Amino acid sequence: MKNCYLGIDIGSISTKAVIIDDENKIILSTYIWTEGNPISSTKNLIKKIKGKLPNQYIIKGIGTTGSARKLIGLMLDANVIKNEITAHAIGTLSIYPDTKTILEIGGQDSKIIIINNEVITDYSMNTLCAAGTGAFLSSQAERLKINIEDFGKYAISSNNPVKIAARCTVFAESDLIHKAQMGYNKEDIIAGLCKSIVLNYLNNLSKGKKIEQRIVFQGGVSKNIGVIKYFNEILKTQVTVDENSHLMGALGIAILAKQNKTNKIYNLDLLNVKFETKGFECNKCSNNCEIIKIYKENKLIDAWGSRCGRTFNDENNVKS
Amino acid sequence: MGNYYIPAKYLLSHILDVNILDPVKITSKTIEIGTKYSPEFVCTPFKYTLGTLIENIEKKSNILIQAGGGCKYGYYAELQEKIIKDLGYDVIFINLVSQGKTDFKKIYHEFKKIDKNFNIWSSLYYLFITTKMIRYMDKIDNYIRHNIGFEIDKNDFKNTNQEMLNAFLKTKGFFDLFKIYKKYNKKIKKIKVNKPKECLKVGIIGELYTIMEPFSNYFLETELASMNIEITRFTNVHYLLFEKKYKIKKEMKRIKKYIKYKMGADAADNIAHTKYLCDQKIDGIIHIKASFCTPEIGAMPIINKIAKEHDIPVLFFTFDANTSEVGIKTRLEAFHDMIERRKKNEKLLSRN
Amino acid sequence: MDKIKIGIPRSLYYYYFKDLWQIFFEKLNIDIVISPKTNKEIIDKGISMSNDEMCMSLKIYIGHVSYLLDKCDYILIPRIDNYGLENQTCTNFLATYDIINNLFNKKIINYNIDLFQNETELKGFLKLNKILKRNKKQIKIAYEEALKESLNIKDKKMMKNINNLKNKKIKILLLGHPYNIYDEYIGDPIVNYLKNNNIEIIYSDLFDSKKCINKSNILTNSCYFKYNKENIGSILLSKKYIDGIIFLTTFPCGPDSLVNELVMRKINTPFINLIIDDSNILTGFETRLESFIDILERKKIHE
Repeated sequence: MKNCYLGIDIGSISTKAVIIDDENKIILSTYIWTEGNPISSTKNLIKKIKGKLPNQYIIKGIGTTGSARKLIGLMLDANVIKNEITAHAIGTLSIYPDTKTILEIGGQDSKIIIINNEVITDYSMNTLCAAGTGAFLSSQAERLKINIEDFGKYAISSNNPVKIAARCTVFAESDLIHKAQMGYNKEDIIAGLCKSIVLNYLNNLSKGKKIEQRIVFQGGVSKNIGVIKYFNEILKTQVTVDENSHLMGALGIAILAKQNKTNKIYNLDLLNVKFETKGFECNKCSNNCEIIKIYKENKLIDAWGSRCGRTFNDENNVKS
Repeated sequence: MGNYYIPAKYLLSHILDVNILDPVKITSKTIEIGTKYSPEFVCTPFKYTLGTLIENIEKKSNILIQAGGGCKYGYYAELQEKIIKDLGYDVIFINLVSQGKTDFKKIYHEFKKIDKNFNIWSSLYYLFITTKMIRYMDKIDNYIRHNIGFEIDKNDFKNTNQEMLNAFLKTKGFFDLFKIYKKYNKKIKKIKVNKPKECLKVGIIGELYTIMEPFSNYFLETELASMNIEITRFTNVHYLLFEKKYKIKKEMKRIKKYIKYKMGADAADNIAHTKYLCDQKIDGIIHIKASFCTPEIGAMPIINKIAKEHDIPVLFFTFDANTSEVGIKTRLEAFHDMIERRKKNEKLLSRN
Repeated sequence: MDKIKIGIPRSLYYYYFKDLWQIFFEKLNIDIVISPKTNKEIIDKGISMSNDEMCMSLKIYIGHVSYLLDKCDYILIPRIDNYGLENQTCTNFLATYDIINNLFNKKIINYNIDLFQNETELKGFLKLNKILKRNKKQIKIAYEEALKESLNIKDKKMMKNINNLKNKKIKILLLGHPYNIYDEYIGDPIVNYLKNNNIEIIYSDLFDSKKCINKSNILTNSCYFKYNKENIGSILLSKKYIDGIIFLTTFPCGPDSLVNELVMRKINTPFINLIIDDSNILTGFETRLESFIDILERKKIHE
């Protein structure tokens, strides 16, 4: 029997999974849309994995990262739960140890990570809003009636990208509509959109940071050749995009799961286990915290969100 | 703002013959109300304080006292009064500042209007006690901040501190206050902590309201303490009222390489504190502010530059009503990971 | 020794001191170079060099500075703290010198106005003697003459502005900081639109500063921002004659966000509030201006 480790990256748009062996080699990987429900998407993901994993492997560690890391980590009894910034850096470094800059644009947020001697020395996450993230691109693709996968192709066929104001989605969208009404063609508008995403990203995140080679571009949007083109053009250099660029977070957290492994063996038998979350506002003190309670088979297993350290029982009452 | 309502309540209840209500604690509803009635891009503390004022009126307060000074704070009151009156509330509004100055004559007349027996000499005596009270509170607070991440029995510090504040409120005079302080100072220093020698140390700098009102910074210090991090911060009421004035001259000299002038509000102080923290080889600096805080926005590139030169990581947070708490936690966690790994790496390098 | 050349960014301070500076340097026979009117390149450069939370006007200023970097020996950046405690400026006017100094590696010529600390404009100018290679006496004479002449120029402009109040056309008070009103990208499109539609524009900065500040008390009595008091005073001095007011602000101007809000709650004159930021700076406000003018015209007919 061989050991393997599962890493899951649950983002707002997609859920990604990677299984690696002791040499950090990816045995299998898969991803599905999160569709606003991390619990069911994780279950579907696990179903897919179980069918594919060769028999000689046993899972010795599970790590979760991404915005729903805590919930899914609890659900899978993960041995590592880590934020996506650390996970992305570790995943990327395992493939490109000479990485100095990671540019990442995901579904709901974007980040830049600066690395020196394989240690994160600086990073920032977008501070304004969703302008220039995957979700915004998808919604614009839909409005222009174009398949999001073809977005990049349209963009690189333009030589004359339209200037688009992209400080905020609301403004960017109205500007886009405005430009379309003025009669610009689709290619130029899409190219303009891709360019504005790059400009917005650099203006927003890279102020005061040195972007040095090797530069790795990842996250869902890194699949868009239009955005890659404008990164190369504006940075006046070549960015690296791995074929698994969307899986770096999952890979990183799988590696962390390996490093933190215990003797536990995971069998992934949770397809029929019922998980639920319920939210309520606790009015026990003036903090009025929003409490999220997690139920496994109708039994409360955890509650989060309390600022004063109270714990809760089933009937929304305070236990202590 | 934080626990500072205690000295304020103490002072007012001794100098005026009125019934002082505890201010309503800030919640998410406060900022919701504040945002609803505030101009769009006014700085966030305006929204918090407006929300607080309205919530207190709803709790049947009929006299509101608003102090302030420096930067835009001094002008909050006039607009807030107008907004509140436009909403139809009938209250007496006392503004302690006018045209950028604290106007003592005006304050005297306003207080006299509320309470005919208002006496200036006894007021000065209580004002003196109150400033001492703030001094003691801040002293204890600084000690707690350094150690709360390492307490063995959870909530020990918090509970003892609360006990002390309650006792402060009942204090009879100057000597009594001193005795209470001595007693609790001893008690707090006896609280057991398990603090490793090489723990992670982080400095917090930034805009004053966001720093001092924990709700507005999403309980940043509690979060850091739960990661076992020692916290240093400079900004507290005592610093702003009494230390800033004479310290800033010396501090300006230390940072003359970077800035020549004071840049408004606490910008220069924060730049000086950045330099100080960097010289102390702190593990990381967190700069926090409310949205649209002009002086801090101007200071940020300079703070960043100093930190880069000293190779100290800085994390910038801008808080407003729409800040996502999840985003803050993710960034804080990553910051913690980063400074932890850096420290380990440094140790490895120094061993080789 | 070579002659020095001083660069002046056409933004912020420039609109308060342009005549004073130009005449002063001319009298001392010192070369100056002024950055061109704001253009797209300057805006883009400014946005990319500045912190994204800075106000649009400061971003544009930074763009102008970077334009001048290779075209002069020094860049002129004053620091203006206050004209007494009850007449303070926006904190950006205190901080710009240090922000620019840290952002660019460029020599700056700087003086400080802080009347509360007894730092007058003249004192500031006199301290420039070493850089300018002129003696203090020369500077004093040049300054005093330049001050007098620049005030004369302003007087003439004010006279014209006040005369325009008697015009029969529809009159709109364009209220904002001069660095916004006269900027090629912020105020100019609005000014041009109004002029093309036969509107008489009354400028808020072309009134007597002292009178404005005194009058502003009526609308706000605790205000200590000099430039805002001047703006507000212009309303009180002109309100009998004007048909409407346009408040022009850049995002996110701190003093404007408070003072204008208070004033808008108190006045009866029709107004609109235009807020410019880097996402709408190029798209303009035609629709809003058009409907505002419509309203004013109808009102005038009914009277």
